[in-house]
Amino acid sequence: MSISTPGGPERRPTVVSTGKKPAAGRPAAGDKPAAKAGAGKAGGGKGTPRPGAGGKGRKPVTPVKVSQGRSWGPIALFVAVGVLAVGIIGVGAWAVYQGAQPWQKRADAINGIVNYRDKDPESLKYEKHQSGPLKYKYSPPVGGVHNDAWQNCMGDVYDAPIANEHAVHSLEHGAVWITYRPDLPQDQVEKLAGKVRGTEKMLMSPYEGLDKAISLQAWGYQLKVDNADDERIDEFIKDLRVNASVEGPTALCNQGVTATGTTPRDLGAQMPTQ
Amino acid sequence: MNATGTTDRETATAPEVDQGEARLPRRFGVLALAVILVVGLLLGYAGGFLTPQLTRPGDSSPEAGFARDMTTHHSQAVEMSLTAYRSATLPGVRQIAVDIATGQQGEIGAMQTWLREWNLSPTGSEPPMSWMPDGRASMRDGLMPGMATSDQMKQLREAQGIAVDQQFLSLMIDHHLGGIHMVDAVLKVTDDPEVVRVASTMKATQQNELNSLLDLQRQAKG
Repeated sequence: MSISTPGGPERRPTVVSTGKKPAAGRPAAGDKPAAKAGAGKAGGGKGTPRPGAGGKGRKPVTPVKVSQGRSWGPIALFVAVGVLAVGIIGVGAWAVYQGAQPWQKRADAINGIVNYRDKDPESLKYEKHQSGPLKYKYSPPVGGVHNDAWQNCMGDVYDAPIANEHAVHSLEHGAVWITYRPDLPQDQVEKLAGKVRGTEKMLMSPYEGLDKAISLQAWGYQLKVDNADDERIDEFIKDLRVNASVEGPTALCNQGVTATGTTPRDLGAQMPTQ
Repeated sequence: MNATGTTDRETATAPEVDQGEARLPRRFGVLALAVILVVGLLLGYAGGFLTPQLTRPGDSSPEAGFARDMTTHHSQAVEMSLTAYRSATLPGVRQIAVDIATGQQGEIGAMQTWLREWNLSPTGSEPPMSWMPDGRASMRDGLMPGMATSDQMKQLREAQGIAVDQQFLSLMIDHHLGGIHMVDAVLKVTDDPEVVRVASTMKATQQNELNSLLDLQRQAKG
């Protein structure tokens, strides 16, 4: 912008020089452009010679226009190119940044989600598989020690409660476990089942003693909601299914326990007899 | 022109303007060169940085849909095959079952790696089969073409003796037919070399396996 000011003073002498009464015309011509230059850029520039020309009846307007075009052209071009470049880079970078948001960030952005990986990492630690009933700090559990056998999580919809000790192992394999209060209306249960059926790394079961109607678990994450229409359910599944796996995307969800019942069992007990 | 009408007062201003006029174009030239260089470099860098990001398959692309849905499809084949590997009677059935299970599990790993490399989530925002023309219509009970129902899977798990072989063969033949149908759909629309390579391998493998499965089906019946 500093380059635009030389255009003003440079113009003034040209106008004045063609005027016949320099002494008288000077102050008037000098005052007007100063006032107009402050008001506008191109409009002010064009208007400048006119009062002078109108009053004195001269047309030295052409050289004024030429000198004006010479400085504005490249500036406008560079500004345009610059704005365009910054725009392209900005929009591109923003799109890439948005798309590349790691799943952890997207999960943490879900309203009401509890991130136990940050809040209580100790509760998720374990040294080896343990058999038999185990105690969990949170209800429903979101991770930690578990049995050898996992609960089948091939989009399995269980109609009765299942064992925490198996379900936690499924969470470790990247499953999202939907639990609901046994008194949840049937149409809501069906809605939830529709998100589970046919999709691996998903399982669902009723759960006694929930403080909210529905609770979703992934390894180290939990979200409790009041009804099956809550949009955060889909967001939770989208962000954490498979991603939350401790053992990567190829950990198995089949060949596990398919029976219901809250007492953990040995896998051998439900294997078909050969 | 200037010389004639110039007064003393104006001669004081004129040189200042002339100086500015003489200096400006040169300073402007250097500045312009610098601006051109910087803008050019930025554009080049941004182009190089963004092109692979913008040309890779997007969240709703057929490639991403295929990777996600074929992962689901394959997962069930792995489940059927591992069940057959454990409890089928005919050695030939157990042999092809473990081959299918490990082969498809490996392909799941490849497809999941694509999604990571494309910066996409393993789970899409759109319902399954949306990437395929008429794909949504081919779904029944939330299942993709060729997939077994949870009841059929339960029966297979609980079957005994030669019934395991028979059920597995029948389910897996349908499964492969549905799988090949989906592979054909992605091959029709993609030009991603890696997707083409893996999908072509899948198709060739499943077509060969299909022939073997049909052979075994005749053995299991007779």
